[in-house]
Amino acid sequence: MKKMSVFSISFSIMIIACMFVIAPSSLAAKVLKIGIVDCYSGPASTYTNDVRDGFKLEVKKINAAGGILGRKIEVLTRDSKFKVDLGLSAAKELIYRENVDIMMGTINSALALAISNLCKKEKVPFFVTFSKSAKITGAKGHRYVFSITENTAIAGKAAAAGLAKKPYKKYWIAGDDYEYGHAIADGVWSNLKKMKPGVELLGQSWWKVGEPDFTPYITAILSAKPDAVIIATGGRDCVPFLKAAKATGFNERVPFFMHTATELSTLKPLGLQAPEGVIGTSNYFFYYPETAANKNFVKKFETAYNRKPAVGALYGLLAAKFIFGAYNQAGKIDTEKFIDNVEGMWVNSPVGKVTMRAYDHQAMLPMFMGVTTKVAGYDFLMATDIVTIPGKDVMPSIAEIKKARNQ
Amino acid sequence: MELAVNITLPALLQQVLVGLSRTTILFIVASGLSLVLGVLRIPNIAHGSLYMIGAFLTYTFATLFGQSALGFWLALIVAPLGVALISFLVERSLFCYLYEREHIMLLLFTFAFSLVIGDMVKLIWGSDYRSLTAPLFLQGSFSISGLPFPRYNLFLLMVGPLVAAGLWFLTNKTKIGKIARAAAVDREMVGAIGINVSWVFAAVFVIGCCLAGLGGALVAPTQNITQGMDHAIIIEAFLIVIIGGLGNIWGALLGALIFGLTDSIGILILPQFAIIFPYMAVVIVLVFRPKGLLKSTW
Repeated sequence: MKKMSVFSISFSIMIIACMFVIAPSSLAAKVLKIGIVDCYSGPASTYTNDVRDGFKLEVKKINAAGGILGRKIEVLTRDSKFKVDLGLSAAKELIYRENVDIMMGTINSALALAISNLCKKEKVPFFVTFSKSAKITGAKGHRYVFSITENTAIAGKAAAAGLAKKPYKKYWIAGDDYEYGHAIADGVWSNLKKMKPGVELLGQSWWKVGEPDFTPYITAILSAKPDAVIIATGGRDCVPFLKAAKATGFNERVPFFMHTATELSTLKPLGLQAPEGVIGTSNYFFYYPETAANKNFVKKFETAYNRKPAVGALYGLLAAKFIFGAYNQAGKIDTEKFIDNVEGMWVNSPVGKVTMRAYDHQAMLPMFMGVTTKVAGYDFLMATDIVTIPGKDVMPSIAEIKKARNQ
Repeated sequence: MELAVNITLPALLQQVLVGLSRTTILFIVASGLSLVLGVLRIPNIAHGSLYMIGAFLTYTFATLFGQSALGFWLALIVAPLGVALISFLVERSLFCYLYEREHIMLLLFTFAFSLVIGDMVKLIWGSDYRSLTAPLFLQGSFSISGLPFPRYNLFLLMVGPLVAAGLWFLTNKTKIGKIARAAAVDREMVGAIGINVSWVFAAVFVIGCCLAGLGGALVAPTQNITQGMDHAIIIEAFLIVIIGGLGNIWGALLGALIFGLTDSIGILILPQFAIIFPYMAVVIVLVFRPKGLLKSTW
């Protein structure tokens, strides 16, 4: 009884608190409004800040040159605190009160799917910048949603291609018990089984998002003696997991794959305390590919923000290039024309030419698979032995998308 | 549903040890909550927030003293004291006027207080998370029958009994402990024999909050120091206090043991569904002992 009242009271207080959060909207001027809902507090912000900053860098450039079609661009950001309910109400506020032209976000897959659903209903184009669920442009894809980041199907295919070449047979899967965790695990495992039929799954463990202590999970996995482990954790749990992996010597005892392990956003906060030899996949490194376009981008980003760009910065840049490029091509502010123009459009980026596949609205990005290593002169670990897997090789086929959508 | 095939004796032993180190943290935090609940009758929802402040202060002090081993030890001592100071100021300026109010008022007040602290932490430390490194000799792990056991967890295993012994000494052997125990049973009577109950309450409140700070300080090197760590711990701490018996410190120890061990052993036995084990244990305890395992002071 006592427990019940604690919860009912806290719940009603939350509702009241939420009502005060909604800020009064500004008067509509002739601006192009972009709304971004993302998690800017807590560990996930290590990824999302770069998306916002990479995007704003382009916005600044365009605004300085007079804006798009005579309109200045206004960027409105909202913090979802990694919570679906908070994020969704922020998205509603941006759509209904601020009347944003474009929605962007988020790092939380469950929230991305929820906002995608809302945007479908309200016919607002939604650019998914960090969520990795393959459902976004797969099973739950629609005309108004675009993804400019790789997803679990893509990363799964890339990782499986890499892992299939290794001699490991007995695997263990462990990860976050929510949308992303299960999706990436499923992506890697289903592809790996296809590419190498002899693999065997010893078992799985699933922890809650924000798990305070990974040690019991790691020790339990080690006692099962797998050849390799697929760690399906992302966002806020990457850093503490790698910390626990280092403390238990997990990386020295068994090789493990963790999708975002090689990314700067993951490795920078850990410094030299990050475990070595972890296999990871990413869309971008500031030191790879070693092209003039990338070096130029790194320089611009560093001048503006005094830090190296991580993968999120690439997503922010891509979002800006697709959105503003499509408006320019359309020649007027019209949602349907805008979407027609984004479909099949390609842009130049630090990782080369990136095309937005017309059928499923999924950007075709190359994947880089590498291993965490200490590199002299840097106070954090970097990816080495990088293998590039071109975008077209890791994209799910249109037949697969059709099947997922029951078409 | 597949049962793990790897349940060997060394693996089980190791899970128990790993579980016990988590128990240590849970016990330290829950015992502080239970102490305040038992003596002051305050269901302090802000207890988790003080735990969070403890972790952030540890980070700040460790950085301030230089990222050295000595700095870490100093921070481990200074941070809980910092939390104690904050709680002392809060108790004297706010809480001490509220003791006679209904529980529902206290609940609302402490909840509001936790929201205020949450925003203050965001204001002071920003929304970024922090990461702290333990001293070199507590990093890494050693082998127990072929399986790794982190050194830092061993350190936690040593701290746990020390805190428990300290609490036993405090409640049983010191005057303030005896008065506090008496006040928990009948505070009017304690006041009637000429003891300044208000200051006893202040002392107990500060000790309880200091324990929350210590819990936060101890956990700092093992995880992200971040907003939201207050919510996660307060729910677990309340559950532990409820199954242990409201206000009973040894109940908190028992509850923390149940919570920590069912968690770590559950992970070994049924890894896919490990999340539910501690909560199932709570349900089972409450079905058979609705008032908690040990005698509640309420």
